[in-house]
Amino acid sequence: MPDTTGVARSPQERARGRGARRRRIREALEAYLFLSPAAILLFAFGILPVGYAFYISLHRWRIQKGDFIGLANYTRLLGPSPKVAMLLVGIGLLIGAYYVWRAISFQSGGWQVGLRAILAALLIIGGLTLVLGADGMVRYAAEERTVRQYLLSVLRTVFYSAGTVPFQLIFAFLLANLLFQQIRGRSTFRMLYFLPYITPTVATAAVWRAIIFEPRQGLANTLLSFLGVAQENLPRWILEPQGVVVLLGEWLGISLPEWVVSSPVLSGPSLAMVAVCIYNIWVFTGYNTVIYLAGLGAIPYELYEAAEIDGAGRWQLLRHITLPLVSPTTYFLTLMGIIGTFKAVNHIYIMTQIVGLGGPQDTTTTAAIYIFKQFREGNRWGVASAAAFILLGIILLLTWVQNRVAEERVHYA
Amino acid sequence: MRKADSTRIRLRFRLTRAFIYFVLILGAVIAVFPFLWMVLTSLKTYGEYALRDPWPKALTLLPYRNLPPTEDVVVDLYPIEEGTWGGAPRSAQPLMEGRIPIEQVSAPVAEQLARRGEAPPLEVFILVADVDSEVEGYDTFYFTVGSRVIQQETVRARLGEGWKAPYYINAPDMERWGPQLIVVDNDPNHFVVRKTWRPTVMLIFNYIKSWYEADFARYTWNSVRLTFISVTGVVVFSTLAAYAFARMQFPGRNAIFTAFLATLMLPEVVTLIPNYAIVIQLDRFFERVLHIENAWLNNWTALTIPFMASTFSIFLLRQFFAQIPDELYDAALIDGCGHLRFLLQVVLPLSKAPLMSVIVLNGIWSWNAFLWPLIVTSDETWRPITVGLSKFTMEAAAEVHLMMAGAAITIIPILILYFFTQKQFTEGIATTGLKG
Repeated sequence: MPDTTGVARSPQERARGRGARRRRIREALEAYLFLSPAAILLFAFGILPVGYAFYISLHRWRIQKGDFIGLANYTRLLGPSPKVAMLLVGIGLLIGAYYVWRAISFQSGGWQVGLRAILAALLIIGGLTLVLGADGMVRYAAEERTVRQYLLSVLRTVFYSAGTVPFQLIFAFLLANLLFQQIRGRSTFRMLYFLPYITPTVATAAVWRAIIFEPRQGLANTLLSFLGVAQENLPRWILEPQGVVVLLGEWLGISLPEWVVSSPVLSGPSLAMVAVCIYNIWVFTGYNTVIYLAGLGAIPYELYEAAEIDGAGRWQLLRHITLPLVSPTTYFLTLMGIIGTFKAVNHIYIMTQIVGLGGPQDTTTTAAIYIFKQFREGNRWGVASAAAFILLGIILLLTWVQNRVAEERVHYA
Repeated sequence: MRKADSTRIRLRFRLTRAFIYFVLILGAVIAVFPFLWMVLTSLKTYGEYALRDPWPKALTLLPYRNLPPTEDVVVDLYPIEEGTWGGAPRSAQPLMEGRIPIEQVSAPVAEQLARRGEAPPLEVFILVADVDSEVEGYDTFYFTVGSRVIQQETVRARLGEGWKAPYYINAPDMERWGPQLIVVDNDPNHFVVRKTWRPTVMLIFNYIKSWYEADFARYTWNSVRLTFISVTGVVVFSTLAAYAFARMQFPGRNAIFTAFLATLMLPEVVTLIPNYAIVIQLDRFFERVLHIENAWLNNWTALTIPFMASTFSIFLLRQFFAQIPDELYDAALIDGCGHLRFLLQVVLPLSKAPLMSVIVLNGIWSWNAFLWPLIVTSDETWRPITVGLSKFTMEAAAEVHLMMAGAAITIIPILILYFFTQKQFTEGIATTGLKG
């Protein structure tokens, strides 16, 4: 480091120092030049739009910009602001509680007791405000149509996630484990499983809608009637707005109480939504299998050998070596799967296009489809942007929660 | 005793293998069956689909055996009498009419006729009109059988233009098995029509029909061009950015990289609306200041430029570039080689595999893109195939056999690309998928 000594430097050394500095500056400038095309585009079409979306969401904006209306678009979707504020404060307190809980293990003695008290207080107050806020929103939703529609769309998104991600993961884990054995044609199987993921969503969703879930000619009902389901009992799949719990009840001849049938939560996702879920599982199982295969490949083989010498059975190997060591992959796939269901528009758009965007009686309108409907059909850009912002908030919160869960539970090899 | 044990173990082993293969094959069948069913449906006629025939007649030998020979028929045209032709659309003002006899028919048509208690010969009734005054001669045809009008659409045919002018019979199943009628000479005094039976046309009839009904030629060409443009952009811009992140020192490197990665989190629906607003404003700006109309809307610019910065590709390439040993660069530096030359002459030739992954993945994403193109294209000029297909699936909703042909047309280019490059593909996904 010739620069730091400062004394007795020969002119040659000083020149070399200047040269190095100039080279560094030149390199930095060159690097910025290299970065600039991608950076400008990412800024213009990736980062700037987020701020712009927020700006739009604060205005009455129907194609043309209108008046500034503050948070009115948000309250239109979520209900009165005090309730929403309570909900947000509740979430904030619970996040705070998490950090206090983390801090406890590093403390000892009196500090720990104090912290435990704070933790308990945070948990109770946070939980209460959260529940009260949410309850207030739900009550309000009963009266206000816009709020009800939005909250229902979020609920349907939750159904959608719960109806796809676990199944995708289970099937993919099973297939990946089987593929990982010594079998012939592994790459062929892998290629075939991956096929649904790479083909255009528009085309495959149209295929499923038109020749599989079509009520009269479709493959699904042909199969069901072949299995002996009577003609009048055949499900209407993508055209059916009724919840699956209610449908199952009817099919089994159980008369469900009124409060189950009328409740959007208890009556379950509509059969149309279930059809969309089945399509989603078909598309993403192969993708998850390929990633699980990579994850399995990363587990050192010696571990299995050692465990086998210790007398572990097949099941024990799976339970105590494979599952824990593949958990980073599981975590990654869960996160990507859930975010994916929150973002999904294309295939729901195509599959329900025939009944009108959003499915029969709007029962496949997820949060993302809701945004798209407000934007395209309602031309309410302000409302759509507000909904998009709420969606972004939910995704960020989910990512945060899953990161924390991962920290606690995932074993990195 | 010992032997019995070993056979039991072997049996158990075999059973396990059988079970593994059973599950794997079941999975493969579920993954592939919708595609197979799509292809089978796309080869059926409307009637076969409606009657739920599992196997299309086009995939048997029946329609192709004993096809009548091609022959040219000179048609006598005579001026039309007012009101003699039943029900044909009159907007085109037919001037002349004529009859083409068809004595021999292909097997499916004979079968269909027999079912209705009829038999060949058939007679095709032509109405000739001069619709487009700019085009010389007679160029619009209506086909009828007997007094029944079987014409369904105006067919504009110029000389020698073949299967755009198929002959239509009232029963929908017959149009494809009947002769293709081609006008060889459109002189009204010597009007010649060629009757020909083409096996390939019979086989892929639905593909031809949907290709023309939905203008798939244009959509495919658009998608090819758009994919090419955006992949080129992605490769150039991502290589430069990835190289800077991997091998150059500059202030704020980590911060900028984090900002890049953060954009991966953004869902498309969030940026959709503001991006559309931005594109509209850019379009207006170009029109007002630079006097270029439609510079962004309905143009390749809006469809490709926003996708040219691909964080995923930058990340994938950066991982690879960072592994290239420093000694290589030091040696190149001594030879007086700058960063750009080092990138072009040393790094890129070494990075063929990740570049291939980037090209294939981005190519497929670009081909499959739907939501954004749906919003920024309001006319056909640059509409890609996915948007065209979604429109076609609405228009042809009842004609599922045509819809499946359209879906197959959209999928086939991707399948071809995938089968040749599937290794880069799955590996690109697997390596970056885990680390992303």
